[in-house]
Parts: sequence; structure tokens; C-alpha cells
Amino acid sequence: MEEQGEDKAYRWEGDYEKTWEALKEDETGSLQASIEAEINKAKKRRLQQRQRNVRLGMMRHLYVVVDLSQAMCDQDLKPNRAVAVLKALEIFSEKFFDQNPISQLGFVSTCAKRAEVLSDMSGSLQKHIKVLQDLGQKIIKTNAKHCTGEPSLQNSLELCAKSLKHMPSHTSKEILIVMGSLTTCDPGSIHDTITQIAKQSIRCSVIGLSAEVHICKYLAKSTKGTFGIILDESHFADLLTDHVPPPAEISPESSLIKMGFPHHVSPHESGKISLCMSRNTFTVGGYFCPQCQAKYSELPVQCVICALTLVSAPHLARSYHHFFPLPMFKEQEVPVGSSTCYSCCKPITTATYVCEQCAISFCMDCNAFIHETLHSCPGCIISTNHVHTTTNGVV
Amino acid sequence: MANEEERQLLVVIFDVNPVWWGIKSLQGQAQITKCLDCLLVFVNSYLMLRHDNKLAIIASHSTKSVFLYPAQESNQSPDPSKASTSDQAGGDCRYEHFAKVDDSVTDKFKELMRDGCEKNDIRRDSLIAGSMAIALCYIHRMQIESHGNTKLNARILVIKAADDAASQYMSFMNVIFAAQKERVVVDACILGQDSGLLQQACDMTSGMYLKVPHQDAFLQYLLTAFLTEAELRKESLVLAQSSRPREVDYRAACFCHRSLVDIGFVCSVCLSIFCQFSPICSTCETAFKPPVQASKSRKKRRALPANGT
Repeated sequence: MEEQGEDKAYRWEGDYEKTWEALKEDETGSLQASIEAEINKAKKRRLQQRQRNVRLGMMRHLYVVVDLSQAMCDQDLKPNRAVAVLKALEIFSEKFFDQNPISQLGFVSTCAKRAEVLSDMSGSLQKHIKVLQDLGQKIIKTNAKHCTGEPSLQNSLELCAKSLKHMPSHTSKEILIVMGSLTTCDPGSIHDTITQIAKQSIRCSVIGLSAEVHICKYLAKSTKGTFGIILDESHFADLLTDHVPPPAEISPESSLIKMGFPHHVSPHESGKISLCMSRNTFTVGGYFCPQCQAKYSELPVQCVICALTLVSAPHLARSYHHFFPLPMFKEQEVPVGSSTCYSCCKPITTATYVCEQCAISFCMDCNAFIHETLHSCPGCIISTNHVHTTTNGVV
Repeated sequence: MANEEERQLLVVIFDVNPVWWGIKSLQGQAQITKCLDCLLVFVNSYLMLRHDNKLAIIASHSTKSVFLYPAQESNQSPDPSKASTSDQAGGDCRYEHFAKVDDSVTDKFKELMRDGCEKNDIRRDSLIAGSMAIALCYIHRMQIESHGNTKLNARILVIKAADDAASQYMSFMNVIFAAQKERVVVDACILGQDSGLLQQACDMTSGMYLKVPHQDAFLQYLLTAFLTEAELRKESLVLAQSSRPREVDYRAACFCHRSLVDIGFVCSVCLSIFCQFSPICSTCETAFKPPVQASKSRKKRRALPANGT
């Protein structure tokens, strides 16, 4: 309880927190407006926390460890914890590959004092979603019968560390543990494992579903990860989404990675059949590796023959907006007389948001859309000769 | 037929780059007023398909993007001549919606032309990315306003005249990714030269890319290719085949020479692409270790004695 200060030891010994006074009803008795204000405040806080000019780990290798033990049969998340976690992880995978197209994801499950790999480390979204969906269906059908025993933190950490040891040093290695149980059953000393993982500079974060467990918090702190306990389903989704943007880089290794930009041959052009290495069947058309001419059906992928990383230019371009995050717009009162939003022509009633570089005002919805999806200010794009000013001529 | 619960929204972005249109009209090849008339006929046909089809038209100038329809309320006092045209609209037997669209487009276009060009406006390339960003914000607003009741299928049709602006690559890619996420289809109708950026946009959002060879038949191309909704295009044999562009070049350009590379070196920190190894990254100034060459020479040395003995 170090964070609560010396004077009050427990929450009930301090003053009452009248949290109900934060919510205000409007004329019709609905709380919608104040709930939206709270959500917007939380969003703003999250966006402001992202620092600029910090080195980010762009190529990430993330292992997600899912606890499938007895504690996950609990029904405080609907229909039970295991199914809710798997569903949330599907959405997380989609967002992850959307924001980090050249990264790779892997899934590990732990139950009955063992750990096993659910889905190998790969960059293919469809494969992971299929595995998660099949497992979710199986759990629903068997009514969570095989979620038994206790999880093993040490076994899952060692399994992930063994696989991450072979990854190149310029990538950012991470483990995310979703832990529902309050116990862990380990074969040896977990402190040795934690020191070994910290030495390999693997960043471990833990999301707990029940309560704070000391060893999980210690693990997160020693490896410079984050630790959080969920309040409800939407808070769980928020905590997962916090892991989507690339983390600040902790390892100083950086190198020039050789990558290939393969040429796409569409099926209509050439009728020639060749072996597709990703599907192991014969298909017409695909992407040809520039070094060894092996064919793949989708990108990004690592060529199995010559070990060249194959990407296309849009995949790299998708990550560029992390380097130049759009600064927050200034909130201002609506000027006298009505005004319309520059981009959607809606008359603005509540508050306007002004971009500091181009001095153009937007409404609240456009402000959220611009910062979350578009990542560029329309006013700045249109004003003459605008390039992202921090690139120094790089386009 | 489309599902009863789905509505269509079409946003047309019309490139009115004054330099390109001026040159073409001097050469006698194309006139912007004729193309605008064709566009209005196309837009009327689109509105006639279903009563609840929604529309927006944006004019993309060199330094500004203006909504031609729906008309924004301007700060100036209403023109008395405008009031008379709206009276006439009720009286001259035109379908009221068409009259509203036609009048709004022609009035706003005249205003845009009357404002004239400043020195900054004289550019040979079109700034399409800004107009597309505004179109996406408008689509987002329409989706919020109609959510819950009906699903809104949104499309952007870009009628492009002048060349690409290389300086807009980054903003353009951000706009394309946003369109992909919002499931907005981007179609392109090219009047001038081929545009690599729009080819990529159409390929990534599964839209149609069409280069118009004869500008006299511009209206026929619009009505044949771009009138149908995106989902229905696969039912048509002609459109399904021509909607995929031949070869979209997704290769990246290296940052040092701007030439397209097949195999390049990417900095792990800032993701800049180089065509050959250099000890320092020019963008983020990180130092790199030179690639390890020692293992090759060791292997060769080991092989020689075996051959010798």
C-alpha cells in the first residue's frame, strides 16, 4: 500500500469519496452526456501520455500467455472468463497487426502445471484468429471441462524465453501474461527465471483478472513492464489496447535489416502454376521473393528458403505515423455566431478544437476521428507545401 | 438488389487544378465546363437509382478544398439572384432534389472561379490527399448520424486531372489506411496521366481504377463503370475483370536516390529504406555495425587444406 501515503492505512479510514457527484443529469434526466464526457477525458489522458521523440520498438515479437486454469471457469466475465479473454484477444490481434504490420505474435496457454504453445510466432492474422476461435468453441462445447489445475508461471516464461532467445537483437521482445488465478505452481525458483528474463531484456507485462499477486507485480517491475488489474470487460479491453502501440525502446541495439519488396503477379496475367510456400499448394499468381524466387500468397512473411524478410512499402508506411504523432488540438469555446466544422460542414455547438499549425477549427467528432484513425490534420495537408515538418525532406 | 437496410453515400472529388485545365483548354482537348456538365448528369443518374442515395461533391483546388454540395452556409448575405433561382426551381418542373444539387454546384463553382488564383495556387500537381481527408471526415459524420438504423456503404470517386504530388506521399498513405479501416471504397477516374498513388489506393480498398482514353466519352465511362455499387461489381463480368489494375507497383523507393528497390536495407529505428549499406542512417543518425564478413573467409580457409591434401 505504498502509494496511498503514510497517514491513511486503509481506504475507509480516509474521507469519503463522493463519486456520484461527478455525474450530472441533464434536463431529460439522462446521464449520457456526463458519461460521454468521462469517456472523452479518459481518451484525452491516454493520448497525452504518448511521448514524442522517444525511440520506439517497431519490430516486435510478442508472446501472449493465456491462463486456462481452474480459476478461468469463473463466470464474472460472461459467459466465462476463458471465453471472454479469448474473444478480447481476437480483437487485440487485429488491432496489433493493424498498428504494427511488421511485427509477430504468438500464443501460449498454461494449465495443469504445464505450458504449451497454442499458436507459433508468426505475422499471419488469420492463423491466430482461427486458433483462438477454435479454442473458444471447444471451451464452450465442453463447458470448460479441460480448464483444470493451476497455471505455471515459470514454465510459460521459460517456454517463451527459449523461443525469444533466437530472435535478432534489434527487435523488441515482449511477453504479455493474462492471469486469472491467484496461485502458480512452479518446478524451481521463479526468481532465477525472472533474473534470466531481465538479462535477456524481454519486457513482461501482466494483466490480472482477480487480484494483485506480488510475484506478478515483481515480474512486471523487474522487466520494466506494466501491471494492471481489470475492473470489468471494457476496462480489460482498454488495458489490452494499451499494449497495441509500440513501447519505448529499452535495448540500444539497432541495425540495418535487409528486406525484400516482392513483385506481385496477378492470376489474370500469367497462367503458370507454381508452388506457394505459405499454403503448400499449387496456385496461380502471388508474390515472388526477389532473392530466391519462392512464391508467397500474402505479405509480410519471412522467406523460408533464404530467410529474407518480405514486406511491401505500405506496411512500412503504416508505422510512420508513430514517429510523428499528431499533437493534441487546443479546445476553445464556440465563437460568437455559429460556426461550421471545416471538414464535415456540421454546425458546431459544443466546443471547437483548433489545430495549432494551420489554425483551422474542427468539431469534437472530427477531432476524435483525426487523432485515432486519420493521424493527419486535413487543414495542414491542404495548406501549401506541407510535408510533415519533422522529416527534414524525407518523404 | 442491395439490401433494404443499407444506404449508399457517394463522395465525388473533382480535381479543378487551374493550370492543367487551362493548358488543356488552350490545346482544345478538354473543357472544365463540359466535364462539369457530364458530372452533373452522372450525379443525377446516381440520385435517381434510389430515393435515399446520399451525395457530396468536393472540388479540389491547388490550395483549398471546397464542398460544392451540400452547400455550407456562408457568412455573406444571401444573394438576391440566388433566391430567384430557388423560386424558379419550384416552378420549372425539375425534380427538386436535382435542382438543389445542380444549383448548389454551379453557384459554388462560379464562386470558386471568381475568387481567382493567387501566386501560390499556380501548381502543376493536384493536392488530392487533403480533399480525401475531408471526404473521410464527412463520411464519418454521416455514419455517426445514421448508425443504429441503417448501414451506410460509402464510396469515394476521385476524378483526377493533373499529376501526383510527391510531397503528399505520407498524408496520402495515412488517408488510404484510414479508408481501409473504415471500409470505404476508393474509385479513380483518371483524365490525365497514370497515378501510382491512386492505383495503390484502389487496390488496397478494392475499388476501380480507370484511365479515360477519350475525354469526349467521359460521361459514358462514368455511367458504365462507376454507377454501380461496390458489392454489385463482382456480379458484372465486364467490371469484375477490369476492376483489378494490371500490376500495382508496391516496391519502395530508397531514401537516398529515390529509385525503386527490390531488396533494400531498412533502419530498425526509423524504418527508412536504403539501397546499400551505410554506417549511419541519414534520418535518425543511428550508427550501425558493418555486416559480419568473417565467417565466410573462415569457411573458405577451412575448405582449402582439405582440397590440398
